[in-house]
Amino acid sequence: MSQHQSINQLRKGETATIVGYLADEIPIKIYEMGLLPGVVLTLKRQAPFNGPVCIHIRDNPNAIALRRSEAALILIETLS
Amino acid sequence: MTETKIALVGNPNVGKSTVFNKLTGLRQKAGNYPGITVEKKTGSFTYQHTKYQLIDLPGAYGIHPSSLDEEIVYEVLVDKNNPNHPELVVVVGDPFNLKRSALLYQQIREIGLPAIFVVNMIDEAERAGISIDVDRLEKVLSTKVVLTDARSGKGIDSLKAALQYKPNGYTPAFSIPDEYAAVTQQVKEQLAPANDYIAWLYLSQKRSKHLDATASSEISAIRQENQINYHRLQIHETMARHSTLDRQLANVLKDPAKKRENLTARLDDLLIHPVWGYVVFFALLMLIFQAIYTWSGPFMDAIDNAFAWLAASAGERLPDGPLNGLLTDGIIAGIGGIVIFIPQIAILFVFISLMEESGYMSRVVYLMDRWLRPFGLSGKSAVPLMSGAACAIPAVMSARTIENDKERLITILVTPFMTCSARLPIYIIIIGLVIPQERFWGLDLQGLVLFGMYVLGILAALGSAWVLKQLMKTDYKSFLILEMPTYKYPVVRNVLLNVWDKTMGFILGAGKIILAISVILWVLGSFGVDDRFTNAEDIVRTERPELSDEALENEVQSQQLEYSFLGTMGRFIEPAITPLGYDWKMGIGLISSFAAREVFVSTMATVYSLGGTDDELTIRERMASEINPNTGRPAYNFASGISLLLFYAFAMQCMSTIAIVRRETNSWKWTLIQLTFMTGFAYLAALMAYQLLK
Repeated sequence: MSQHQSINQLRKGETATIVGYLADEIPIKIYEMGLLPGVVLTLKRQAPFNGPVCIHIRDNPNAIALRRSEAALILIETLS
Repeated sequence: MTETKIALVGNPNVGKSTVFNKLTGLRQKAGNYPGITVEKKTGSFTYQHTKYQLIDLPGAYGIHPSSLDEEIVYEVLVDKNNPNHPELVVVVGDPFNLKRSALLYQQIREIGLPAIFVVNMIDEAERAGISIDVDRLEKVLSTKVVLTDARSGKGIDSLKAALQYKPNGYTPAFSIPDEYAAVTQQVKEQLAPANDYIAWLYLSQKRSKHLDATASSEISAIRQENQINYHRLQIHETMARHSTLDRQLANVLKDPAKKRENLTARLDDLLIHPVWGYVVFFALLMLIFQAIYTWSGPFMDAIDNAFAWLAASAGERLPDGPLNGLLTDGIIAGIGGIVIFIPQIAILFVFISLMEESGYMSRVVYLMDRWLRPFGLSGKSAVPLMSGAACAIPAVMSARTIENDKERLITILVTPFMTCSARLPIYIIIIGLVIPQERFWGLDLQGLVLFGMYVLGILAALGSAWVLKQLMKTDYKSFLILEMPTYKYPVVRNVLLNVWDKTMGFILGAGKIILAISVILWVLGSFGVDDRFTNAEDIVRTERPELSDEALENEVQSQQLEYSFLGTMGRFIEPAITPLGYDWKMGIGLISSFAAREVFVSTMATVYSLGGTDDELTIRERMASEINPNTGRPAYNFASGISLLLFYAFAMQCMSTIAIVRRETNSWKWTLIQLTFMTGFAYLAALMAYQLLK
């Protein structure tokens, strides 16, 4: 398997599948929110100056905001 | 009539409080959970000869808490002896996040509690072309499922009827993993919880507050012995549940049309735009600010007049004496001092509720997080900080939603630096006295200084937050994982109920302390043992026979204040405040305004024998001619004026804020650290300013 990207490497409008996590010690809320392996998400917006990112899980109207530091923990494979 | 205790549980943003408000109507009240400060909402209603006691638990995504609010859910549901422990749980979910809600539901059933399941916002789902196979969902969850649209009231009656339902025959969806079976068994044997899942929860929670110290240390011992990382257990459980639910719920949602509303996307294009998002946010802040000042004005004047009238007429009707004074100047004035804040608090919470109800508040968090993080704060601190510009009391209360202990504590500790509206009367009088009415680059100089005072407040808040960030340690990593729901039209009823709750919370919580302090201050200001106090009238009459009756009365009042306990205290602290450029009369003002800053102005009116006037012009004229007996110069010159401004900008001159901080932090230690830090900082700043400028 090649080196994985994290949500941080996604560009605006790109869609990807979650494949895993960078570390074990990540907030339980990430799991509870449904950011789980296999989930397809799209990066919708980025707050300026390295602010939080705003992602959409497929088929869910609500968005989820993550800080870059959390986004870096979630590993993805881009779908193209 | 039988009575049943019900708990309402659900993820945030599913419309749970709308369901609660629809069920209970006005028969609800807000309170606190014992020992901690998370707000508790309870209510009751009767349906078919059964009385239901309903408790609205804080929103949570699962049974494993990541904030104080969420910890309540775990404690109330797991601890059978908890006074709020329910007989039936109503889990509220929404169609778009069925899996998340079902996860919480299963955890609750596995604790051993009967529960029914509500899918709310069903209208929104229909508009999006989603339909739900209720039969299938009922089979998966083995309980009654009710579809509601709480905003319109649809399904609420079916929900009331469903409360009679007795769920049974539930099979756990999560089985304790083999690798942890032995250790869970060990917990079960030692602590005798009701079932395996609760044993597992004891093992996987950071702490279980309802267990005593022995039990807690037994759990830590077991964890240590078996090298168990509780966090990993939580993750294990959540992932296992998700994958089971993926299978179970596969055909429950029918989603043929895939029509999605794009109003939210279009609004977000503007509201969280990298530039326009901030422009809109700051414009909104300005609007709130203006509203708090201008809209509340007439109400505050009316309240002020009403209480002045009340005090005057009570004073006339009662015989002269200490009882009369206690009632008019102590109690009525004290209650007036509480009620006067109601318009501002209510207006602020109208805006905050509208922002929360509509979904905009989570966008504010998203926009501000980047800018507040370097100071050890989170995006969620933006709300308390901006509310602090009106009044620190509701602001400190609104810090509850911050998950991270450290960020929440820092937010509470620095919020009182923000320029609240009670500082304004002092600023206006002092600026009017010591800043010349000139123009500076075409701008009004006095206005500029006032603006500067606001900036100073923000800098002090952020600066001390940064210092606290360096000093404080935390076990928790700070994070921001925030759901931004679709925009919704606010439910007026929810807004009004929320404003009512918050206002009553202020009156009952902080109000008691404000009242107590104003009575104490009245006692200190009205009694004394000095001869010049007890025989004030004779002494003034002999010393100044030329005075008219009214002038005599004012002079007597002034001398009595001077030789009362309060005046004695003012002179006692004079050596400490002389380096700041103040005399003992200002000392009296400082002490009495410890109750609330705005008291300074009315106290100075009494000290300068102006009688009971609150008229700023009269007071200002009198203050302008006052000579400081120590220096022989005007008491309010440029140096002492600036020093006074700085003192009031930084000092914790507000008993109510101290009371609310104590309540919210549940710690005298932090309350006293904050008091000492703020007042010490204020003293140093005022000292330096006076010594440099004099």
